[in-house]
Amino acid sequence: MIVVPCPNCGPRNSSDLRNAGEVAPRPDPETASLTEWRSYLYLRENPAGWVTETWYCRSGCRRYFTIERNTATNEIRESENS
Amino acid sequence: MSELEFVSPVASGPLSAAGGGISLEDVSDRTKVLVRAGRDTAAGTHLKVTYGRSRRRRDGALICGSRPDEWTLLADPGQGTELLASLPDEGFVSVVDITHGRAMFRLSGLDTVGVLAKVCNIDLTDDMTPDGAVFSGSVAKVTCDLVRNDLADRRSYLVSCERSFGAYLFAAIADACSEFGIDVPADLTIH
Amino acid sequence: MSSHRLPIRSSELIDRSTSLSFTWNGRAYVGHEGDTIASALAAAGVEVFSRGMKYHRRRGILTANHWDPNLSVQVGDEPNVRAGSRRLVDGMQVSAQNVWPSLRWDLGTANRLVGRFLSVGFYYKTFMRPQFLWHNLYQRILRKFAPGGRVNWKTGTHGEYDKRYAHPDVLVAGGGPAGVAAALSAAEAGASVMLVEQEPELGGHLRWGGPDDLAVLADLRQAVYSTPAIEVLCDSIVTGRYDHNWVAVLQRSHEVAPERLIKARVGSLIVAPGLVERPYVFAGNDIPGVMLAGAVRRLINLWAVKPGSRAVVLSANSEGDAAVLDLESAGVEVVAVLDARAGEDVVEARGRGRVSSVQTGDGRILRADLLVTATGWTAPTSLLNMAGDRPVYDKVAARYFPQALPDNVLATGGIAGDGSTTELTAHGRETGLLAAQRALRLRHDRRAQTPRSPAPESDRPAAIADSRIPLRRSPHPECYRSTTHGLVDYSEDVSSKDLIQAAGEGFDSIELMKRYTTVTMGPGQGKLETVNAAAVLAEAMAVEMADIGTTVWRPPFSPVSLGALAGRIFEPVRRSALQDWHEANGATNLLAGQWVRPDHYGDPMAEASNVRENVGLIDVTPLGKLDLRGPDVANLLDLVYVNRWQKLEVGRVRYGAMVAEDGVVSDDGVTGRLAEDHYLMTTTSSGAGAVWEMLEDWLQTYRPDWEVHVTPVTGGLTSINVAGPRSRELLERLVDNVDLSADAFPYFSVRTGIVAGVADCIIWRIGFTGELSYEVHVPSGHALHVWESLLSNGSDLGVAPFGIEAQRILRLEKGHYIVGQDTDGLSKAPTAGLDGLVRLDKADTIGLPELRAAFERTDLPVLVGLQPDDPTIVPDEACQIVEAGSNQILGRVTSSRMSPTLERSICLAQVDPSLAAAGTSVTVQLVDGRRITATVQEHHAHVDPEGARQRV
Repeated sequence: MIVVPCPNCGPRNSSDLRNAGEVAPRPDPETASLTEWRSYLYLRENPAGWVTETWYCRSGCRRYFTIERNTATNEIRESENS
Repeated sequence: MSELEFVSPVASGPLSAAGGGISLEDVSDRTKVLVRAGRDTAAGTHLKVTYGRSRRRRDGALICGSRPDEWTLLADPGQGTELLASLPDEGFVSVVDITHGRAMFRLSGLDTVGVLAKVCNIDLTDDMTPDGAVFSGSVAKVTCDLVRNDLADRRSYLVSCERSFGAYLFAAIADACSEFGIDVPADLTIH
Repeated sequence: MSSHRLPIRSSELIDRSTSLSFTWNGRAYVGHEGDTIASALAAAGVEVFSRGMKYHRRRGILTANHWDPNLSVQVGDEPNVRAGSRRLVDGMQVSAQNVWPSLRWDLGTANRLVGRFLSVGFYYKTFMRPQFLWHNLYQRILRKFAPGGRVNWKTGTHGEYDKRYAHPDVLVAGGGPAGVAAALSAAEAGASVMLVEQEPELGGHLRWGGPDDLAVLADLRQAVYSTPAIEVLCDSIVTGRYDHNWVAVLQRSHEVAPERLIKARVGSLIVAPGLVERPYVFAGNDIPGVMLAGAVRRLINLWAVKPGSRAVVLSANSEGDAAVLDLESAGVEVVAVLDARAGEDVVEARGRGRVSSVQTGDGRILRADLLVTATGWTAPTSLLNMAGDRPVYDKVAARYFPQALPDNVLATGGIAGDGSTTELTAHGRETGLLAAQRALRLRHDRRAQTPRSPAPESDRPAAIADSRIPLRRSPHPECYRSTTHGLVDYSEDVSSKDLIQAAGEGFDSIELMKRYTTVTMGPGQGKLETVNAAAVLAEAMAVEMADIGTTVWRPPFSPVSLGALAGRIFEPVRRSALQDWHEANGATNLLAGQWVRPDHYGDPMAEASNVRENVGLIDVTPLGKLDLRGPDVANLLDLVYVNRWQKLEVGRVRYGAMVAEDGVVSDDGVTGRLAEDHYLMTTTSSGAGAVWEMLEDWLQTYRPDWEVHVTPVTGGLTSINVAGPRSRELLERLVDNVDLSADAFPYFSVRTGIVAGVADCIIWRIGFTGELSYEVHVPSGHALHVWESLLSNGSDLGVAPFGIEAQRILRLEKGHYIVGQDTDGLSKAPTAGLDGLVRLDKADTIGLPELRAAFERTDLPVLVGLQPDDPTIVPDEACQIVEAGSNQILGRVTSSRMSPTLERSICLAQVDPSLAAAGTSVTVQLVDGRRITATVQEHHAHVDPEGARQRV
């Protein structure tokens, strides 16, 4: 059970949050081709290393936020684009 | 209207341990008002407390900073109209009476920390969670809002949850209290 | 039986004034408080405690502590109890495990005669083929001989298991001198401390030491128990260390539960488990009477048990030397002391039920009933491995040492090096201080980051450097195996010969060898066996120990019962404000997600008919309800629903369906506009939580510029659907300030009013059942009053409650689909028949590109109304629709019921588009294999497809 640093609540057990996955920018639905759209839906980098991901503070402040997490070590740092 | 009885989701009366180390009481009938407002609104300024802390207003209402830009006001039963009227409503402000939507219990006594440690993963030591602290977390797998609200001589917490979980949660907390001397009535079962 | 109890020892743990009665394999025995099961039996002269797993050879005491592989016993209905550490309790019923028919006459010993068939890899090689024999024969026979006790899963008498959370700054794993000293200095530095010891009392090896050791121990204990900041948990084990110092502690013998799992978030973890004494590998090393030095020292000093009468001691270290003195003081005749440091050795122990003679390295044969070995130590580095360390082998000290640890994990005591008691406690104290300092810095940060905690009054404690003087590494001979072969793994009956054979077969990596031979895979998880196994492999491969590596130690450190992992089971249940009434009035309940709700009140068909004929009430509180406020609600609705919302007027409600970004139908419901900037959205019961989180996601991350506040009000509003031709008449009797006439309150409208004296009730007119119906949302604290008023004021109208089953019948008659039942994880909008609802020309909608793509496809399944040609047959839901002459699947029945209105069976089904035209005959395969024909209907609705009944 890792500790996720919620920017509002402070450090919390990950069971208090929901991992909403690697951040994937949403293409403009008006102009995106189906291929681009499906890349957004299904394709992720999934590196063994640093990933920018979204968490939802389900049992706490109920805010979505992003952090950077090293998937190999679970080291966590603030996201530059949070 | 006012003569109508408020029916709580919890049928049980107060429970307490013989030694006085712990007591659990249903206080679901208290008035509860949820305020959502930007920090720059008059309501936000008026309520003052920030997320995580609480204060007692002069009229007796307990103002809890329950989330960023969100407050919960707690008061005696039947105070809904007064509480709603007490808030400035300029700007983008939402005020919802959630009296009927939340069950609420008061857990008091020296053994509260021991009881809550069985059902909740939050660190309740005095420096992390002093009197006045407002926080949320899972209690017996139900998301709850909690306020540490010590009584004159007793450590005390207000625990509230979505109303429909009320009967279950009261029984689950009572069950956790049994280690500390509360005789749990047979009809309060979580299994 | 002869007594082996010695005169009083100053260090003994037993209370001789007590007398505890217990049974061992049915015979009565007596022991004292403070005895372990094993010590009480050994004092009474019992020598054989178990049988080996494969060859069923007799086994006696080896280590006389928690790790003893020969002391697993059954106590009452609890299997696998460690008799080496479990304290005796009056009335215990203890019996041997893994023996049949008895410990004395064990048929399994016949395995010895076929020993060569049970050699390494036997299971893998033998029971492969023929495959059908696995279930019919092999499994049944093997189970008879499987190790482990009897699990009494039907009549558990263990009571509740328990769990709790903890947040100590410092957790010390191990209550020996170093661990206790670390706990004390951490507490002095201001940290909260949890001190965990697996034996029932603190002290580690000091407990069986001399007067100086006992004096130090008394001081340490006194200090610990008078320090409030230290929580001491004895008879408890740290079973695992996980990411971010999440530490699992198994607390045994707790007063409220047999075992309790503590989940601790720890600032600093101090690993101080001491050392585990290693057995020596030689022929006959499993014969009762072969014991480790620590075992005889504990038996003599802690429990005053004489372990034998004539002893041979093989000593490579001071523990062996001390054992010689202890044996002499206990009146045991020490026949010979063989000094391994001088190259002396033991090659074989002989004897049947007990050692009778010992052959030495120089060929002497000594008559003895006790052979004591002191050949070195294993560092139980499990917790360090779990923290990412890969300990390295030191040839000079003949054991493994930590290599690199993260800042929040520190090691002290024997696992870190050797020293006198003074040196060990000094190292412990320095370690405790360092651990506390690091933990207090973390606590400071946590306080600063946590809004409920006021800012810390003091500055962040300064970091201090790790200036501990390392404990020395005393030289120790590499004593692993004699010139003969013996057991390496006592639990799994794996010998050094087996390991060499495995290496010869190519399993020459320690990780492969472990899995092939099962060495180290028994209950001890390698505490006694790992290093000997590595040594034998190194020998077989003719390489250095350091080049072998060790297997990775994973959690748990010690076996954990499943009951402890399950703990107290919390399964939240949701109840509407009317649920007590339902239960008092004959409801049969149904668990729908977390909600308990009435399935029916006795006769669902009659309940459904009553709705069609008169008026019924159903409690639909579980419907998700979200209060939406703000100027941008319509924009939000336009985004999340497939249809348009900008023109919904105040006082009107509208049906909406949602799809996810992949175009799959995700939820649906009705949303009403209560006031200019105030809406009430309903969702499916099961989707309420997900829809709420989804709305917050879009509002927070996609359109933070929109002003919308979402508040869930599901339980706060009790929802009562009043349905049936006489529903208006009933409501008119109770509603005060709302005109319910058809003109003033048309279909798909919403009003707020007073019902039965209760203000702020939201009433909307919709029709899931297909009848004239009103859904009344009542503040829950007054819901019971409204429900009872509706019943008591409508008895002349035939009002009656109806449950979920009746509602399912009614909605199926009406052809309303249910998301998740009639649609699935692949169903796109066209399948659900949303063609008329979806607007593809909006600027944005969740899943818009997929919606557009879906409507260009012609191959998607189609949801249709379906009626079996034999009206008496109700195909089960999920029955497949197949091609008549083959097994080609062309669809499935998604919902089916007998219709009381039509008196025939009715269905909804997803079918291949080629079968979707009205009048098409399809073949349905029933569960019993029969095939029936059914006809596709023109509408989803079987009853009143025009909707005349609800628009009155």
